[in-house]
Amino acid sequence: MTASALLEVRGLDVEFTAPDGTLTRAVRDVSFTLDRGETLAVVGESGSGKSTTALALLRMLPGTGRVARGSVLLDGQDLAAADEAELRRVRGARIGMVFQDPMTALNPVLTAGAHLDEVLRAHGGRDKAARLARAVELLDLVGIPDPERRLDDHPHRFSGGQRQRILIAMALAGEPDVLVADEPTTALDATVQDQILTLLGDLNRRTGTALVLITHNMGVVARACERVLVMYGGTVVEDGPTAEVLTRPRHPYTAGLLAAVPRLSAPSGTRLAGIPGAPPDLSVLTDGCAFADRCAFTEDRCRTVTPPLVTLTTRAASGEGTVRVACPPATSRSAPLPAAPPPARIDRPRPGAVVLEAVGLRKTYRGRGLRGRPLTALDDVSLTLAAGETLGIVGESGSGKSTLARVLAHAHPSDSGTLRLDGVDISRPSRRELHTVRRRIQMVFQDPYASLNPRMTAGQIIAEPLHAFGIGDRSRRAQRVEELLLLVGLDPSAADRRPRSFSGGQRQRIGIARALAPEPSVLICDEPVSALDVSVQAQIVGLLTDLQRDLGLSLVFIAHDLAVVRQVSHRIAVMHRGRIVETGSADEVCENPADPYTRALLAAAPDPVPPARHREPRSTQVPA
Amino acid sequence: MTAITLPAPGKPARRSPRHPYRAALASARGRVGLALVLPVVLAGVLAPLLAGHSPTDQSDLSLAAPGTPGHLLGTDDLGRDLLARLVYGIRADLGIIALAVPLGALLGCLFALLAATHPAVDTAVQRAFDLVLAFPGLILALAVTAILGPGRLPVVLVIALAEIPAFGRLLRTGILVEREREYATAARVGGASPARVLTRHILPNAVDPLVVQIAVSLTVAVFIEGAMSFLGVGVRPPQPTLGAVLSQSMPYLADAPHFAAGPLITVTALVLGLSLIAEALNREIRR
Repeated sequence: MTASALLEVRGLDVEFTAPDGTLTRAVRDVSFTLDRGETLAVVGESGSGKSTTALALLRMLPGTGRVARGSVLLDGQDLAAADEAELRRVRGARIGMVFQDPMTALNPVLTAGAHLDEVLRAHGGRDKAARLARAVELLDLVGIPDPERRLDDHPHRFSGGQRQRILIAMALAGEPDVLVADEPTTALDATVQDQILTLLGDLNRRTGTALVLITHNMGVVARACERVLVMYGGTVVEDGPTAEVLTRPRHPYTAGLLAAVPRLSAPSGTRLAGIPGAPPDLSVLTDGCAFADRCAFTEDRCRTVTPPLVTLTTRAASGEGTVRVACPPATSRSAPLPAAPPPARIDRPRPGAVVLEAVGLRKTYRGRGLRGRPLTALDDVSLTLAAGETLGIVGESGSGKSTLARVLAHAHPSDSGTLRLDGVDISRPSRRELHTVRRRIQMVFQDPYASLNPRMTAGQIIAEPLHAFGIGDRSRRAQRVEELLLLVGLDPSAADRRPRSFSGGQRQRIGIARALAPEPSVLICDEPVSALDVSVQAQIVGLLTDLQRDLGLSLVFIAHDLAVVRQVSHRIAVMHRGRIVETGSADEVCENPADPYTRALLAAAPDPVPPARHREPRSTQVPA
Repeated sequence: MTAITLPAPGKPARRSPRHPYRAALASARGRVGLALVLPVVLAGVLAPLLAGHSPTDQSDLSLAAPGTPGHLLGTDDLGRDLLARLVYGIRADLGIIALAVPLGALLGCLFALLAATHPAVDTAVQRAFDLVLAFPGLILALAVTAILGPGRLPVVLVIALAEIPAFGRLLRTGILVEREREYATAARVGGASPARVLTRHILPNAVDPLVVQIAVSLTVAVFIEGAMSFLGVGVRPPQPTLGAVLSQSMPYLADAPHFAAGPLITVTALVLGLSLIAEALNREIRR
């Protein structure tokens, strides 16, 4: 609590009231300080309260949310008690905000210049010419090339990364002391994410604007911020210098989270350590540590007493610092918690004969409108998949990987090319052939919320393929559903519940059980973990690799995160603009990439190992 | 299944997932709507018990004021009991809309399902809907009556015909939206036949807006019936309907306002109540 603190949050509580009167305490007793020019990351999984905390700073809480207790002091002025007029003077002028989705945050009928002009006018820019000059300056500051000309362009003329840059320029227009960025790179590709993080770091150094970066990604934390605040279940569990927290975590949750993050440096076949269980339900108010149910070090007091944040002094190489930790077992011990066991290896049998083979696949989508240009999603894609093998497919958005998944699973037909299953041509199957093919090739989808029919119970969803393929009678099917639920690690009693009563990870398990129901030999997984939290992602990845070993499945594992793909895959294919630019063994592709695009992808992947201080910003240009 | 720890069998649903329709009717809006609609419906259903007179019996008391002994709401220009004409009028109206709206909804949904089978069929069905929608409701009513003559059947047909495109379009939109959802793709990849994907997966997720539309259509039906009777192309006199009684009362509006009051208040209550219920359902479903 230094006197120079720019922003000081004390005992902040945020509550939401459900229509039926249930109270959810999304943020509980959160305290932290932010110094001038500091970069602070707030990291946590979904439901940890990180975004709510950020929104509560400016009292921009959605719906029924309200600040129930606590204060937010900005240079001594309490924003939690300020009236709307005072808040308006602070918003944008002293605290700027950048949100997650750059695609929807800009008004499509206004030009970039109009967006900036509006903000500048709100901040008292009276002279039109001066506003224009400032708008050009701001676009230049955030690295939009040729700013004078681009002022007149509408949002659709900018890429996702450029739109995020414009939003950052808008947030900076009022020359705020603090820039709050809520998951600013989550909707962006890795190479663009890298550029935006570099930009935020640059801006912090050049303008002295303090940065609060909300993220779920440990790699982003390591890449962009000096200090990190780890949140779980609406509370701060650990707060300290990034280098200290990420290398010597004190709180078991931080340690678990770090162990669960896939490392790009780990060789293929390394098992990820997940955190068992699911995040807590915040509407059930309890005393005690929110993490107690998932923690390996839980003691009796953890369940009865809400752990206070205890300040500890650390002696890191960079000098003395302080870390705050909310974990009595960890703080009453002198040494840090025992380190996680070294990552286990997955023992997997060698791949067998080729099961699925694709030669020269092409798929073009019709352009929109009369003069719409057709979009080539797949351009001469060839690949093979052996029995018991995992083929990882990596690429950024728009690279055609999801289209490839759907063509391989016969959800969409290809325009040309050949697909062979066990040597039999299945490119243009008849209705009956398609039925047999579908029994052999099943698919796991990206979004565990959208891919389960909300009107059906888990049991009905899993039994649906059994029904479709006419497998078993009623009682045999019920028995098989039970087996499948156990196989994916769910309780058989789950069969009677509807998808909405499951967590994201549990839903994905149901999706996997459905795919396994007709006993397929090939499983196409289209971004199966990208919608899940890191600690749950590790569970699902572990489940898929175990299933592969036990059932001899061939997996096509599609993801944008190279680190996950490396660990589950035998071989990796890198996709770029509808083509496979590089194929090779997983370790080979990650360590000795041959294609410049693969190299750019590897360079952009954020690694949760804190980098050396003050290194030169990297430039990762994607080759055209 | 070695290393991963089994998660706890999911938490029980926090709030018992109350059925949205029931929740809608229990909301303030829904309650007021029901309070307006239910008495009218009851009056229609119990008409023979409430009336006390035949709606067509004439007495020598013409245009008696409300409160006249034996005639609670007074009598009309021909000395018929207005209470009897009102409750029997409600009964006739309810009979018509209870037949016409479900008929229109059913046919509309069938056309929407038909349209979902193939883009060419879709185009044909959509143009047919355009054709029906191109006629203003009353012109359609006059045209149908010109062919079939006035009576109960033409009213039912006109209302049903007017509702078919509304339901058809709504369900078609729902199907088009739901068909692109990932669970529909998952069902197809899971081997389900197109018919099964449509009926088992897509349809149950696309029907909610139809329930709202039914409440809206009931309101529209009350209007159409009233308008047709008012213009004299509806149910034939002396059989009372709300529109017919209202039409009859027009010349006496200055001298005997009570003549028009009954049907006016009833139609207002029905339309307002049904609109409130529709809105309540809509809000609950969209949550």
